[in-house]
Amino acid sequence: MSNTTENRDILLEVRNLKKYFKRSDGYLHAVDDVSFTLERGKTLGIVGESGCGKSTTGRAILRLTEPTSGEVLFEGIDVTKLNKEEMRKMRTEMQIIFQDPFASLDPRQTVSQAIEEPLRLNGIIKDKKERFARVMELMETVGLAERLVNTYPHELDGGRRQRIGIARALAMNPKFIICDEPVSALDVSIQAQILNLMKKIQRDMGLTYIFVTHDLSVINHFADEIAVMYLGRMVEKAPTEELFNNPLHPYTKALLSAIPVPSIHRKRERITLQGEVGSPINPKPQCRFAGRCPNATEACFASEPPLVEVSKDHFVACHLCK
Amino acid sequence: MEEKKITSENEEMLNIKNLVVHYETDEALVKAINGIDLVIKHGKAHGLVGETGAGKTTTALSILNLVPDPPGRIVSGEITLDGEKLIAELPLTNEEREKLEAEGKLPPCAPAKTEREFEHIRGDKVAMIFQDPMTALNPVMTVGDQIAESIRLHQGLDRAAAAERAKEMLELVGIPGIRANEYPHQFSGGMKQRVIISMALACNPRLLIADEPTTALDVTIQAQVLDLMRELRDKFDMALLMITHDLGIIAEMCDEVSVMYAGRIVEHGTLEDIFDNTSHPYTQGLFNSIPNIEDRKSDLKPIRGLMPDPANLPAGCAFCPRCDYATERCAVEKPEKIWLSDTHCVECHLYQQGDTAKKL
Amino acid sequence: MNQNPVNGTSNADLRKAYKRQSQGRDIWRRFCKNKMAVAALIVLSIIVLAACTADLFWDYEQDACALNISEKLQKPSREHILGTDELGRDILCRLVYGARVSLEVGIGAATFALVIGAILGSIGGYYGGRVDSIIMRVTDVLLAIPGLLLGIAIVSAFKPTVFYMALAFGISYVSKFTRIIRSAILSIRDQEYVEAARAIGAKDHVIILRHILLNCMAPILVQYALCIGTRILSVSTLSFIGLGIQAPTPDWGSMLAGARAYIRGNTYLVMGPGLALLLTISSFNIIGDGIRDALDPRLKK
Repeated sequence: MSNTTENRDILLEVRNLKKYFKRSDGYLHAVDDVSFTLERGKTLGIVGESGCGKSTTGRAILRLTEPTSGEVLFEGIDVTKLNKEEMRKMRTEMQIIFQDPFASLDPRQTVSQAIEEPLRLNGIIKDKKERFARVMELMETVGLAERLVNTYPHELDGGRRQRIGIARALAMNPKFIICDEPVSALDVSIQAQILNLMKKIQRDMGLTYIFVTHDLSVINHFADEIAVMYLGRMVEKAPTEELFNNPLHPYTKALLSAIPVPSIHRKRERITLQGEVGSPINPKPQCRFAGRCPNATEACFASEPPLVEVSKDHFVACHLCK
Repeated sequence: MEEKKITSENEEMLNIKNLVVHYETDEALVKAINGIDLVIKHGKAHGLVGETGAGKTTTALSILNLVPDPPGRIVSGEITLDGEKLIAELPLTNEEREKLEAEGKLPPCAPAKTEREFEHIRGDKVAMIFQDPMTALNPVMTVGDQIAESIRLHQGLDRAAAAERAKEMLELVGIPGIRANEYPHQFSGGMKQRVIISMALACNPRLLIADEPTTALDVTIQAQVLDLMRELRDKFDMALLMITHDLGIIAEMCDEVSVMYAGRIVEHGTLEDIFDNTSHPYTQGLFNSIPNIEDRKSDLKPIRGLMPDPANLPAGCAFCPRCDYATERCAVEKPEKIWLSDTHCVECHLYQQGDTAKKL
Repeated sequence: MNQNPVNGTSNADLRKAYKRQSQGRDIWRRFCKNKMAVAALIVLSIIVLAACTADLFWDYEQDACALNISEKLQKPSREHILGTDELGRDILCRLVYGARVSLEVGIGAATFALVIGAILGSIGGYYGGRVDSIIMRVTDVLLAIPGLLLGIAIVSAFKPTVFYMALAFGISYVSKFTRIIRSAILSIRDQEYVEAARAIGAKDHVIILRHILLNCMAPILVQYALCIGTRILSVSTLSFIGLGIQAPTPDWGSMLAGARAYIRGNTYLVMGPGLALLLTISSFNIIGDGIRDALDPRLKK
């Protein structure tokens, strides 16, 4: 990719990241050769449907699952080469907010214990009183009422639990947070509260986000750039406005048109895809979308298209978009 | 397949009157549904929108008399399906009624059918599709057998005929008939939901209740399933109760909409009423909280606060603590149902009898 | 951090203000709601208390072991509340001292099995792979040997003392604990909150102890309680057939064996040890169930 030539403040660079899972019938290509760069203070949205490898990409960057190959450069340091102890330290800079606020909190920890844990484990604040003060500060930041300090997660609703998850991620003052579908388990009215909160925190603390989601409408408010993934491959990446106004990959077009619009006037042309997502196990060397693509030609079944820059900052992997 | 007759001249498929459902546990009395009215006409699609805990699913379960008892109990109300009473109020003399009213109690009700009759109604007249296709199928039976089982149960066909019909049903939802011999784990999520839809439609029901049928599916698959449901609804001319939290799906699928909040229907109307003449502050709030893909510039305006605890509802309007328009009256007095037009009604103190819809 | 509105003294106040029942008290409160479990706990407490304070009332050598043929086979009376046995010893006294042996072996065996099982199960479950396979094969081998036979073998190879019996009966239960703990860990290991703990930089032992083991306490404790019960039964069985605790040391199993001959004329002889076994073992089982119900906060609502 050629976009490193300009004078950009790159926080994260991912090069040829691959994650294969061994299965009885071959290798499951969860993430297959994904590369991108992310500027400090920006948000990259990674969009795709279940099984496209978007969450695995996020986890592989943090090495919560070990990547099969590839480099992840965080401020110039390749985190895939760090040993266990160095990686543990690195995690104070790189954090993650999980999808399911019901599963991502230990049911036996109170709110304050949960938020305190990262501070305690990493020895960031040793004094008990100071640590508690910091917990209260964090709770205020994420909008949790003081009276909840000693409640257990099962006593709280999804929105509040997700706020705990955010406070935990913020506790160590990270520079970079991976948000793995942070609002998809929440009700719409609560979802908007959490999205606004995350946006505000990003502004206040100068955070860089990777926002993983299946819902394009959620990140259009959020992301500076959007990457679309399909079966482990990044098929399109462009600045948000560009992607919405001028989607090039047929899959992106279908994805955009499939979202039900809460309006009874603007009916859009819908591209309904036929068939189902193919198998990610030992995929053939062809365009992975070819089987469902309405415009597929012979070339699409002959070789796998590379991700190329078709206009400034707009990358597409499709034989038909040149 | 024989065409079922519409048994009454009246055009209502389903009529729910003043339904109240409580869950009674040791610790609390959870008021899940607090007096809702709902009418679905023959062949129409009715949307029920609301967030978690609004009482949408409980409403659906009440129709089939499937509210888990205990702890659930249908306290009061009447449910009529195609002219037949399913849940009926117990007969009361005027005196008894006045006495109950004076005590602030509700007229009691009871199922008007036996459990056997309900079994016949479920699947035959009314079918339900559940949210999670992953758990709604029996993993050790082939999908063909599962569909055939319900056909044999309700239509009395023999084994071979039922199996044949099961294959037809699968083909109807776009699955090759030979896959009838496969087990659920061999199907993807979208395919499973198709199987469930074909199972629901196998007995040609007059009313289909779909409880968040696409929430567990990906958007491109969701689009396929919604298309399919729309197509089949036209073909079979059945009524649909679509339960969802997604106003986008409502806009695509439904003729009428009811918005539920804390066990009440706070606004009801046609698509135009709800989408163009949004009148209740909660409905308005819902629209403002949805990220709209068509309109990316606007900021999200979430509804502040949380859903009230159904075990501890506010004395007045349940939405009052979160409402930007709330007055003192809202905190103490429950709003009555106000008809803004022939089709549009709302429960909110912002309106008085005789008002028309106003854009908030 | 001091510009924070909540610091210093107000900080402590705040903690106090929202102080709530600790989790332990919460569990205790829920346990107390279960009447059966509370009854079982009271019964068990009485047995344990009696076993601990026996020396205050009796002299071990004199009352529990020494023969006193002149007073043999007496019916219950003021002097001997439960009567005397065929050798003239006070039955209540022997029951109480017998409880000591039973409880010591039972608890000893269960604790031994729990500790070894927890270590093996945690390692196997958390790390998986080859270590896990080896551990599981070892437990398979242990499972294939009948517990009682292993007990008999060990006891006859060494000495039938409390220590060796606890060891013998503990070993046969190790595989059960290993399996339970391993499967509990497997189900919890892939929970998102374990991954979340790794993401904030928690080390393996913190994750295993704090996040995993603590969350599978319920099945472990239930199994522990059940295990004590069954081990007590095994000791009695072994003593009943004469291979366990040797005379004259009092033990419920050998008391039953001795009383067997007199079951027609002096039924009260078997009643004592029989009831003691029944009460003790069922108490442990009921308490186990009570703990399980009380422990899971997710079932609270």
